[in-house]
Formats: sequence, structure tokens, C-alpha cells
Amino acid sequence: MYVAGVDVGSTATKAIILDENQRIVGRGLTHTGANVIKAAERAFAQARADAKSDDYEIGFIVGTGYGRYKVPFGNTQITEIGCHGKGAHYLFPETRTILDIGGQDTKAIKISAQGEVSDFCMNDKCAAGTGRFLEASASVIGLTLDEIGDVSMRSSHPLRITNMCTVFVESEILSHLARGKKVEDVLRGVNNAIAGRSVALMRRVGLDDEITFTGGVSRNKGMVTAIEERLERRVNVSPDSQFIGAIGAALFAWERTQKKVGAS
Amino acid sequence: MRTQPVMKFEERIAWCKEQLEDPTFPTLREFKGRNGTRAPIVGNFPVWAPQEIAHAAGALPVTIAGGGSSVEIDHADSRVQSFVCSISRSTLELGLRGYLDPIDAMVFTSICDVARNLGGVFKRNFPKIQTFYLHCPQNVSSPAAVDYFATELRRFRRAMEDFIGDGITDAAIARSVGVFNEHRTALADLYALRREHPEKISATESYLLLRASQLMPREEHTAILRSTFAELEARPTRRRDKIRVLIEGSFCEQPPWELIEAIEDAGCYIVDDDFLLGPRWYDTPVKLGEDPIRSMAEAYVKYSVTSSIRHYGDRPRADHFAHKLKENRVDGVIFCAAKFCEPALYDYVLLKDVADQAGIPHLSFEFEEKMGVFETLRTQVETFVESILLFAD
Amino acid sequence: MILKAEDLGYSSDVCGYVKNDIGLVANDMTGPFGKMAKPDLLVCTYSGCNTYIKWFEALAAHFNCPLYMFDVPFSRGPETHAADIRYMMSELKELIVLCEKITGKKYDEDKLKDILRRSREAEDLWVDILHSAKRTPSPFDAFFEAVFFMAPIYVLRGSQECVDYYRAAKAEIDARVVSGTCPIPEEKFRVVMEGPPPWPHFRTFWELFKTWGVVCVGSSYSKVGGIWDFGFRHDPERPLESLAEYSLECYTNYNLARRVEMLNRYMKEYNADALVIHSVKSCRAFSMGQADMREVFIHDLQVPTLFIESDLADPRYFSKAQLKNRIDAFFESLEHQRIVAGKTA
Repeated sequence: MYVAGVDVGSTATKAIILDENQRIVGRGLTHTGANVIKAAERAFAQARADAKSDDYEIGFIVGTGYGRYKVPFGNTQITEIGCHGKGAHYLFPETRTILDIGGQDTKAIKISAQGEVSDFCMNDKCAAGTGRFLEASASVIGLTLDEIGDVSMRSSHPLRITNMCTVFVESEILSHLARGKKVEDVLRGVNNAIAGRSVALMRRVGLDDEITFTGGVSRNKGMVTAIEERLERRVNVSPDSQFIGAIGAALFAWERTQKKVGAS
Repeated sequence: MRTQPVMKFEERIAWCKEQLEDPTFPTLREFKGRNGTRAPIVGNFPVWAPQEIAHAAGALPVTIAGGGSSVEIDHADSRVQSFVCSISRSTLELGLRGYLDPIDAMVFTSICDVARNLGGVFKRNFPKIQTFYLHCPQNVSSPAAVDYFATELRRFRRAMEDFIGDGITDAAIARSVGVFNEHRTALADLYALRREHPEKISATESYLLLRASQLMPREEHTAILRSTFAELEARPTRRRDKIRVLIEGSFCEQPPWELIEAIEDAGCYIVDDDFLLGPRWYDTPVKLGEDPIRSMAEAYVKYSVTSSIRHYGDRPRADHFAHKLKENRVDGVIFCAAKFCEPALYDYVLLKDVADQAGIPHLSFEFEEKMGVFETLRTQVETFVESILLFAD
Repeated sequence: MILKAEDLGYSSDVCGYVKNDIGLVANDMTGPFGKMAKPDLLVCTYSGCNTYIKWFEALAAHFNCPLYMFDVPFSRGPETHAADIRYMMSELKELIVLCEKITGKKYDEDKLKDILRRSREAEDLWVDILHSAKRTPSPFDAFFEAVFFMAPIYVLRGSQECVDYYRAAKAEIDARVVSGTCPIPEEKFRVVMEGPPPWPHFRTFWELFKTWGVVCVGSSYSKVGGIWDFGFRHDPERPLESLAEYSLECYTNYNLARRVEMLNRYMKEYNADALVIHSVKSCRAFSMGQADMREVFIHDLQVPTLFIESDLADPRYFSKAQLKNRIDAFFESLEHQRIVAGKTA
């Protein structure tokens, strides 16, 4: 019997299908857009097609992410904090600290050796240090989120970005560019600023163990480098990092099916 | 021969700038390393502290006015929420990074809710630094306020005595009050010079000198100021077509010196300001009576300069501000409050009305000690200056 | 009201609570509950909130009326300083003279003693209600209900109505105990709440906790106008002295170390599972240092602690989705830990 996890985030919706041996057999990814229900359905359908699982029964489906209550076909929902912890533990069993930078939220999660959440911290009310901050910065320059990582890696003299307010950072970037500063140096500065905030969050839950970086922003290589430099150590980034929440949700789904089997 | 003193002055300013931009406090480390110096260093958070008592205990009293733009915030972001002012965050960062190691004690006073709680955070996080908290009286119209504050200052004196393991005599305190009176007089002369001859010394230079005073023995700084005046006399200068402005709101968190320079470059003579008010807390020398502690308490209650950090009872702050505008013959006011600084932001509303009533144009913006780009601000100030110059007469 | 105050020049970053009041004053003294009278005298007893000083200075300028700044020294350690009491008693005497002048009436100490006697009576009843949360399940929510129950003892203290109110409230709590009625029908988690409530979204906020079967067994906000549950009472035999002592014994006048100590005492005495810190932007007196408090509870005292953020007055600073996410994740993991612990036990 297969199980699925659907992670409806503020920017992207992700779906994962696992087989009975907890192996990933299908992935789905789509923009969330305005219609959350449609996005969940789209991602799930993609994952089913990817897993060629149309004939299989999907035994249990767990929804997670901001739109977790809007997954109409889900059996239950679990917060993405729990799911990211679970997912990261699955990919990197030694990890104890997880940094997840998503569209609206940045989270530092501490997990036990079993992958259970023992503490977590999130960015405060404002969007400073989240994917949205990065997006605002990128759009001032006229780049997309996917492009800025590579561009920033070319920087040799990163600038210091002092405004952490998404509204004010735009004018700060514009005035740097007006003074003839290089785009890559500005972007590297933005990455460094976010890395600073993120590391501060991780310090709150503790930084002693192997660290895994998850969420959409972890695909930005410049961001990974900025965090590694700030921490002075390597961090785990999985090619599936964007899917970690969905993987965690699917693992919770798998546990449920096991319990049912056990009970009957 | 004529240019040499000018060079010396500029070198000194460059040195002050260096001190300000090095968050590791090289002068304090050097002070600690001096042969035979066992004197402790007693720091205080802005705005005011009874530095005279620390001085009488043989300590070097210093004001730690934040980390400025030179310290990268790494640890403190996790302890201070984003809606709290930068100076509280950077001061904590200085501690968490170990930059405050040369400091033996820190004094916090009741200037605002944030500073007060920062004292509590210091107490818990830095057991090696003795943390004192003083409640300065707010009900200054009460006849009991002087008695109360004298008792509070005596409590501080006892704590300092325990700290150095020796008594502090009244005579020593009286001597220290004298040293600080001389320093305050020298600073008042510096400000008088700016008011009368703003072309002789820029506000940026004066600010850098003022900041440096808080990181060295006051006696040395008084001497520096005195020799500076002689040098400035000889400085070749030319009065430019600038407006006379007053800056209000920067009494605790300090703006980057580049911000002050940007305002001046945009066409302003800053003839008065409230940067780092603590060392200039009294306009006139503290009058010494038989009991120097009581004299200090009386001076605080009755003769402090006005700022947003305390209540002034029967002599409201608005009246003082109106007087200040007149005395300095200003063409404009720039309200320059630190972001999230509640005392300054509340007073802005009252004081802008005072400026309105006096028919004096004003401009307002918020700064952060870490800000690094001043273009927008400069444009605003230039526009402000133009509007005054064009509409004048 | 907040927007009205911001129109006058108040920053979007200053306390929303103050702006509510300034906006109301600017709105011809009219609020949702009717019109307020113009004061003849302003008395500011700010007990630990410096923002009040600025607030009352603004009001005094607006009304052009005398302002008496009743200075309450902030706690500088666990002990009470005799000089603080002397200072405040002198202030109270000055205030008596001022009131006599304004009203033309003579101060009557016997009347004050009666008021304090009734205060004391209400205080005893209020403490009984607070202590009822020691029961499991708790018949009383010591935050969500307490912040309403506390109102009469703050604004009507010393009146017979106040005593009657607490007598009725106490009877209701006793009846709840007998009938087994609880604010949270299926109590799953007992928490201590630090910080003020988000008033504009009070119900929504409570629902987020109710979903998880959370009852608050202790809270700090219900002590901002007086801490009586550790023994302090007004004393009719020492009227002015006990008024001075009272002013010192407000939660907002406690330093961080004393706040931690009090919360930890609640954690233990009320058998709580976790601490929730609700950090509000408006009130830095509360919020500055709360992140450090979190460190103490999580790392030194090993208490599961949830840190969330919104505002007590400004509805713009409240994000339900963000709060829900954090609250759900926290109790989800507490529940999970409980299940795991149950298995291994």
C-alpha cells in the first residue's frame, strides 16, 4: 500500500508518494497560486503520475504546510514543523538541527535522535529573513528567485545590507545600484543578511549537531554558502530539500498505516 | 607653522573615528594593560550615570553607547525582538562577543523600559560584569525626590565600595565632581563655539571628540579639548551659505557619524544637538555643599538638561525646547529619532507643535545605528534646506 | 483610534495601547462606550512602565491640566528598599494636599481605612479564585478568564460592589467545582501564560488554545495591577504605607529575575506542563528580555516553552495563520512526547 504527503506552502505546493518500504516513488511540484485546493490536487496528481501509481491504493494521506486544512482528499494534517523534522531525519539520520527557509517563515527546529521535534523557533512577525525578503530583493533587480543564487556566487566584495525590512530593503538596494555597485555584490549582501538572521534563530534552539537546510530557499546556492560561512561548517542540503515537508508528511502517513495494521 | 596645529586637530579627529569604528574598545584594553593599573572600568548604558562616584572609587567611568555600525549582529538577534531599538541589540552583542571583557561593571538607569530590562538581561548573561540598576526619580517636583535620590546614590556608593574593597570618602567624591565640572565646562565651551562660529568646527568633528571623551580619563580629555580650542582659533575658515539647525531625538542610540556629515553636507550648520547627552548633563557646574552626594542628587533633580528620558515636573519639556530654539537662533529643526525609540517618538509629537508655534520649519526621520546608505536622507535634507533658503525673507 | 493618533504624528512603532487612548481623546473624548469627562487633575502611577510618563505628559499638554507624577521606584533586587517607601509616602501626602485643594474637601483617613478594609476583603476572595486553578482539572482559566475577572479589583477596589462581585465570582467557581464544570471540558495541557492578551483578537486567540485542550493555570498579565497571591494585602492599620507597598508589588514593576522566579513558582505550584510567552510589540516593558526568559526556561529549567508574537492593541500586528502554525506545532510535539513517554514508562 502506498502513502502520500502533500505540503501546501505559501509559494509552492509539493506532494510525495512513498511505497510500503518508505521509498520515494513519486514527486509532484506546482505553484500554489490563489486556489489552494486546486494546487493540492495538481501536485498530488503529478506525484501519482510520477509514481505510476494510478492502479495502487493510496492508503493514507497527510497534509501539511499553511494550506494543510485545505487538502480535500487528506486523512489528517500535521504542522510543517513536525513534518520537516521527520523528513530531514529520514534523509539525514544524524541531523539534530534543521533550518527551513520558506516563503513566509524561517524556522529553526531541534529534533531528537528519533526525529521528533524537541524545540523550535520561528522568525518574528515581520518577513525579515524569509523567502519573501529574498524575493522582494530579487524583483527590485529584475531577477527570479532561482537566478539570484548563481549571480551572487560571482561576488567578490559583498555589500552590507542593513535594512531587514522588506519595504526598506528595496530602496537600499536601489541606492546601492545607483552608486554603481555590482548586482552580485548586492545579492551576496542580501544573502549574508538573511544568513545572519537564520543563524541567530538556530542559536536559539542550539547549534551543536549536524545541521540540515531545507525549504525552497535552500536551492539557492549563494544562500547555502552564506550560511556555511556564517556557521563555519558544512550543512546538509538534499536535492529533495524542497520536498522535505511532504516527505515528512508521507512518513507520518506511513506510520498511521502501520498502526492500523498493528491494531487489526 | 600655521598649518601644523590644523593637522594635529585633523589627526585627532581621525583617531577618534578609529576608536569609534573599532568595537573591541582598544583604549579600554590598553588602559587595563597599563603597568600598575588595577583600576576597574565602570561602564554605563546611556544616557546618564553618576560617573563621579565611580571616578572617586578610582575607576575609569565610560559610556557604552552601543556597537554602532561596526559590530555584526550575530548572537543578539536571537535575544532581542525585531521591534526593539538597535542599541539594545548591539550592546548585548558586544557582551556576547566578549568585547566588553575589559569592563568590570555596568550601570543601567531608568531611562526607558528597554534599557531597564537590558540591565536584567546583562545581569543574567554576564556574571563577570557587576550590573547596577539605579532608579532615578521622575517626580522631580516632590520635595522628597532629593532625599530619595541621595539614598539611591549612597546605595550605589556602597556597592562601589564593596566592589573595590575600600571606602570612598566625601572628599574624593567632591574632587571627582570638580573633575567632571571642568570637563562639562570644556564641553559647554565646545558647544558655545559651534553656536557662535559653526564654520570653525563641524558637528561631525565635535561629535567624534565628544564620543572619545567616554573612552578615556576625563582629565586627559579636558586637556585635549582645551588645546583644541587654541588650534581651532587658527583654523582658516569661511562661512558658507547654510541654514542653522538643531537636532533633537538622538540622546541614547547614536546615529552613524556619516549621517551627521550627510546633514551638514546637505547645507546645514548643526548649531546644537542632543547627541550623547550624559557627559553634558548639566549646563552649569554642580554646586558642592557639605555632603557631595546630596549635592549630586540635588543637581540631578533640579538642574539636569532636558531630554525625553525623564519627567520634568513643573517645568515642562516643551518650554525648555522653545527656549532652546530661540537661544540657538535656528532656521530649522531636524527630529532625528532612533527607530523604535519610544521616548523620542512620543516627544516628537509634542515638540513639533512647539516648533510650529515658533514658526520654525522641521523635518523628521528615523535612523538606525547600523544604517549605511544616506542618499535618501540627504535628498530630504537638501530639499528641506532649499525650501528654507528660498522662502527666507 | 490608533489611526487617529498616527495622524497626529505618533509613529506606527509606538505602543498601540497609548494610541488607542490618545485617539479617543482626539476623537472628542468619545469611544465605543460613550463620552469621557475632561479631567481636573491627572495622576500617573506608572509602576514599571516608562511609556506611561510620556503618555500622561501628552494628556497634560492636551488638557492643559495639572499632572502629578506618582513615582514608583522599579524593583532593584528581591528586597524592598525603605527609602522607596519613604519617598512614596511623602508623595501620597503631597497628593492628599493637592486633592484637598482641587476638591475643597478635607482628607478623611477613617474613610481610607474603610476603603482598604473592603479592598482586603475583595483581595482575599480574588486569591481564592486564583488558587482554584491548582485543582486538576482546573475550574478556572487563570489567563483567558482571569483577565476579565481582574477588572473590578483594578477599577472598583475598595467599593462594596467590588466585594460583592468577587463573592459572586467565588460562588460561581465553587459551583463549578461541585458540578465538575470546567472552562476547558477536556483538559489536556496546563500552561502558564506570560504576557498580555491580543485584545482585538481575544476570542480567536483563545480558540487556538482551546482546540488543544489547553487551560491556563497561571498568568502574569492578571497581576499587572497587583500581586496578591503570594500574601500581600492592603492594611487598614498602615494605610499610606500599604498603598506604597502595593504600588511596588505589581508585575510590571518586577525586574526580570523576579518575573522568572514568579513564573517558575506558578509552573511548580500549579503543576503546569509548559510555559507560553506571548510577546507583544506594543509593550517593551513586557517583551524586552522575554527571549532571554525563554532561554532560562528551556535550557536552565527544562520547561517546554512556546514563544509567539502579536500585539495587545494593534489589530494589524496579528497573524492568525502564523500563530496557529506555531501553537499547533508546539502542542503536537508535546502530545507526541507524552505518547512516547507513555510507551517507555
